[in-house]
Amino acid sequence: MFFHIVLERNMQLHPRYFGRNLRENLVSKLMKDVEGTCSGRHGFVVAVTGIEDIGKGLIRDGTGFVTFPVKYQCVVFRPFKGEILEAVVTMVNKMGFFAEAGPVQIFVSNHLIPDDMEFQSGDMPNYTTSDGSVKIQKDSEVRLKIIGLRVDATEIFCIGTIKDDFLGVINDPTTV
Amino acid sequence: MSLLTDSPVHSSSSDDFAAFLDDALDSGSSDSSPDEAELQSLRIKRCKVESNTNEEPQASTSHVTTEQNLEAYLKKDFCTHPGSFGDMCILCGQRLEGESGVTLGYIHKGLRLQNDEIARLRTTDMKNLLRHKKLYLVLDLDHTLLNSTQLVHLTQEEGYLMAQADSLEDVSKGNLFLLEYMHMMTKLRPFVRTFLKEASEMFEMYIYTMGDRPYALEMAKLLDPQREYFNARVISRDDGTQRHQKGLDVVLGQESAVIILDDTENAWKNHTENLILMERYHFFSSSCHQFGFNCKSLAELKSDESELDGALATILKVLKRMHNMFFDALGDDIGDRDVRLALKTIRKEVLKGCILVFSRVFPTSFPAKHHHLWKMAEQMGAICVTELDPSVTHVVATDAGTEKSRWTVKEKKFLVHPRWIEAANYFWKKQPEENFSLSQPKKE
Repeated sequence: MFFHIVLERNMQLHPRYFGRNLRENLVSKLMKDVEGTCSGRHGFVVAVTGIEDIGKGLIRDGTGFVTFPVKYQCVVFRPFKGEILEAVVTMVNKMGFFAEAGPVQIFVSNHLIPDDMEFQSGDMPNYTTSDGSVKIQKDSEVRLKIIGLRVDATEIFCIGTIKDDFLGVINDPTTV
Repeated sequence: MSLLTDSPVHSSSSDDFAAFLDDALDSGSSDSSPDEAELQSLRIKRCKVESNTNEEPQASTSHVTTEQNLEAYLKKDFCTHPGSFGDMCILCGQRLEGESGVTLGYIHKGLRLQNDEIARLRTTDMKNLLRHKKLYLVLDLDHTLLNSTQLVHLTQEEGYLMAQADSLEDVSKGNLFLLEYMHMMTKLRPFVRTFLKEASEMFEMYIYTMGDRPYALEMAKLLDPQREYFNARVISRDDGTQRHQKGLDVVLGQESAVIILDDTENAWKNHTENLILMERYHFFSSSCHQFGFNCKSLAELKSDESELDGALATILKVLKRMHNMFFDALGDDIGDRDVRLALKTIRKEVLKGCILVFSRVFPTSFPAKHHHLWKMAEQMGAICVTELDPSVTHVVATDAGTEKSRWTVKEKKFLVHPRWIEAANYFWKKQPEENFSLSQPKKE
């Protein structure tokens, strides 16, 4: 799920950036540091949308660096247990398939794939129903439910299932 | 706690927002999880729901009882945790502690499977593969399919190779590759592309190397640019479970259906019966020196192994024969067949009918039956004896002047160097004895 929240961060700036463009340097450094990172609490920071407040800078003892407390608004992505997500399949093998929803890696084990879908090996491994009507292969879009979530310092791993109603393939890449 | 009043945007502290949402959602889900779980198993796909609606009134009472049974059943937390991804069970999503099972990091980072699950997967995959008439083939890289050297180890006479390297744009046409960013040069063994193409029709193939993962993946790109032979089945030393040893525990195939091609016997101590030993490919001089050979390398001699007569071509024929033997034998159940038996059978035909005596190959006090040449010859179907008699066909010696050697020449039997046995082992065929005969001793 996406959220638009306010986060705070202490930015350290080298004196070479002081001057007329101090604020711009600070903002660009913030964006470089924070966009694309992941934290346990908030999930992935997708984009910084605006700066709410920049506090007074504090000169650090011993070095010339100055610390600014910056409050900024950003869009974050954090999946939750029980959430329904759409994801793109990246790898299919006999154990199940791996899918990606943005920066989140989700694994759906073959135990949680409907029983009528069977694994077909080959150069394009896939899961297909017995009548061939539904196929899950690389680059298929699937709707899955997250049943397990682990947030790391830098990554989020999820376990998903498609064994429920209304879950499964949304879009077959071969027919599009 | 209502989610509406504490809107995240207006929350003063973003710290407890995520924790709070977690709580709200978790408390909601934990209450309903037994219901959800039981309904999950009873749940029928949406296309089938319509057809079942007419049956509902009759099924309702039995439905209720099964619901109750399942609820009790599932409350015992009956998840067998068949494996984990990122430390979470892949079936129930629970966080798992402990490190049992086998890490399959080469397939995807963070994937681990329990031994039961691996056994189950092996069995189902076996059925699938047998339907397609395929077995498993594990291939080593260095000295088996290719030869790599560091650029600093190239001798002066090999310098010409730098200019002759094939383009990295279209890898499928080349054989010699200069990998500047890895500071190495790689030469693919002659016939390797045909070998891979034909073997892929009979086997599901794996790469298993003692190199590290980046090296393994680079070599896989050179050998298999279209990712049609190996796909994600590239196992490096970072993926093995034991140091300095290769094992079939990370290979998702039944041991009775796996063949291994490797030049190093010691790496496969637990699986020697599945192993076909390959003759080492030494293209670069650094490779020759590594094994103690002081001769000029193939690169220095500006020559190469024969394409149609070389090791890969020979082994391909053996693999084809073994594949036919496995799938064409009628009568017994395919599930009971074993490639190791097929290998043994084919091996026993190589030196069938030969009766060997060894002379000055090992001391007389040495327990003859434990000598590796003795065992090798017996594996190939020869009968080894210690004493000379009229039935002996070959005498294997290192010196043409011994009593046994003289007897051999007198009786017009074959006098051969021990390399004759090794050659037969590599080529799976009895080699012409003339190529390995010992020179006559000087007349005294």
